[in-house]
This record gives sequence, structure tokens and C-alpha cells, in this order.
Amino acid sequence: MPGIVEYLILGAVLFALGLVGFMSRRNLIVIFLSTEVMFQGVVINAVAYGRLHHHMEGQAFALFLLAIAAVEAGLALGLIMLLYRQRDSLDAEAWSLMRG
Amino acid sequence: MTSVTAILLYLVFALGGVGVYLLLPKPGRSQVAAGATVGALALVGLFVVLATQVIVPDTANVFFYLFAAIAVLAASRVVTHPNPIYCAVYFVLVVIAVAALLVLQGAEFLAVALVMIYAGAILVTYLFVIMLAHQGGSPVYDRRSREPAWAVLAGFVLMAAIAGRAVDLPASASPEPVTVTTAGAEGSAVRGTEGNTIAMGEAIMTRYVVALEIAGVLLLIAMVGAIALSQKPVPIERAPGAAKPKPLGQVGREVEPF
Repeated sequence: MPGIVEYLILGAVLFALGLVGFMSRRNLIVIFLSTEVMFQGVVINAVAYGRLHHHMEGQAFALFLLAIAAVEAGLALGLIMLLYRQRDSLDAEAWSLMRG
Repeated sequence: MTSVTAILLYLVFALGGVGVYLLLPKPGRSQVAAGATVGALALVGLFVVLATQVIVPDTANVFFYLFAAIAVLAASRVVTHPNPIYCAVYFVLVVIAVAALLVLQGAEFLAVALVMIYAGAILVTYLFVIMLAHQGGSPVYDRRSREPAWAVLAGFVLMAAIAGRAVDLPASASPEPVTVTTAGAEGSAVRGTEGNTIAMGEAIMTRYVVALEIAGVLLLIAMVGAIALSQKPVPIERAPGAAKPKPLGQVGREVEPF
């Protein structure tokens, strides 16, 4: 039977890699791909905790996470297309007007 | 044991952070080879720490190492590759590896759903948008990162914090075999032996049915929102010398119609 800790560590690694990409990349599409990598880490963690407690809750939570990810992808990509049509660029720095 | 493990993990994560920092796109000479070497060393170190300190030895573990390696390597390329199309394709690799890890944990339904929804649907949408917004060549915002050192520092400190707490947990689930039971569905505990998909269906159709309905409504709202967003006419700020785009009815029509 596989253990829990290695899956939690793997989930942490995936989440943190996604966070690095989210903070450092400038292409809007890659920023959202990084959030999807973070979702993968969370899914691994949710399922591992569900297995730790012999409970379906982790897997059910991960399923709803998938639904939220689909919602997020649909809306975010629509927004990205809108932004791209306004500035002809996917650069996140093109939208830094509100930076202090 | 746990404090030694945590310190070893911190060292491995520091090495991995250096590798990811070198891999992130930066102006100047390419450091991909050095970054890949350091990152691979960090991954091997992580597996050595896991194998010696955390994981109970077992022959089935080889699959964990295999798919964990694929997931971590592909994820590091997703966040560091300068070409967004490659990022999306590497993300498919992450999804497939994570699905395999879910199968290893006994979550078959979720694994299949993950491959269908992510690799099948979401990724196609991403690729569509990348193709639509592709500019040719590699624009400057793909070749430079924003504050890579601070981002790597923050990300890997978070990773170390989570993993340092995780090693305090018991090394594995309690020894009795996992019978997947639907939480709170009285009297159906024996049906858990019929398989993950049935247990999952019972769980989301009984205990989580309200959440399921809300998720459906949310998807509907998102669909309406996406349609409304993409229909909105947008004033295009073009460079002064650029050619005026054709009106919408004539786009792509180069030949006289019959």
C-alpha cells in the first residue's frame, strides 16, 4: 500500500512549481497554464488525504476542483482573447497601468 | 527522524530552486543545460531522500518514482519553456502522469476524468487560443521572466514549508486495506468493494448532490459569461502605420465568388 507523505510532498512540489511560473512568466497564457499545474498538485493532495481518512470526500472534492478548473479555463481564455484584441500582445506587462 | 528528513528535503529543494532559476527564460546566454543538470540532480536527491527516509520499501513504488519524475520534470518545463505551445504540450504530460498517480492511489474514476477533461478539453482550448494569438517568432515577453529570483525564492520556501510539515504525518495510511466507503451513506459500506466508480457515484449523488448541482449551475454561468465576453466588440488600438483590417464579412475571402 503506498504511503501518504510522498504524495503530499509531490503535491507541494507541483504547487510550488506552478506558483513560480505564475509569478515570473509574462505571457498571459503561460500564467494560466501555471495555475493549472497548481491545480494538479492540489488534486494529488486532496486524493491522498481522502485515502488517509478512508473517505470519498477527497475524491469528490477533486472532482469539483476539475469543474472549477474548466470554468476558470473557459472564462480566462475568453478574457485573454479580449485583452489580446485590445493590445495585440499577450504580455502581462502591457496591462500595468494600475501599478503604483 | 522527521527533523533530519525535513533538513534533507530543504537542501534538495534549494538545489531544485537553483535549477529552476537557471531554467527560467532570461536574456543572455542560454543556461538551460546547466539548469537541467542541477534540476535533475535535485530530483534524484529528492527521490533518494524519499526512498531512504519516507517511503516504506515496496516493489510497487517503482511506478510512483516513474510517474512522479515525469510529473515534476514536465511541470518544471511548463513553467520555464519559452514557447507557449511547448508549455501546453508539456502540461499534457503532467496531466497524464498525475492521472497515473491517481490510479496508484485507487482513484480510477478521477484519473479518467482528469485525462478527458484536462488533456481532452481544456488543453485543446488552450492550444486554440495560443494559435489564435500566435505572433510568429518569439516575442520578448516569452524570452524574459519577471523577477525570477524572487519568484523562485517564494515558491521554494512555500514548497519547503508544506513538505516540512508533511513529513510529520505517519509514514503511511493505516495498515488495513482501503475499502472506499461513501461518507455518511449508512448501510452502504459493503458496496465500497464494488469499485471506485460506484463509490464515487454514490458519494456525489447522495452526500454531495447539492454541490454537484451548484457545479452544474456554475458551468452554465461560465458558458453564458464566455459567450458574452467573446461577443463584446472591442476597440482595437493599432499602431499608426498598420494596415486597416478588412470588415468582418470579407475576412479571408481572396477569390471572387462564383
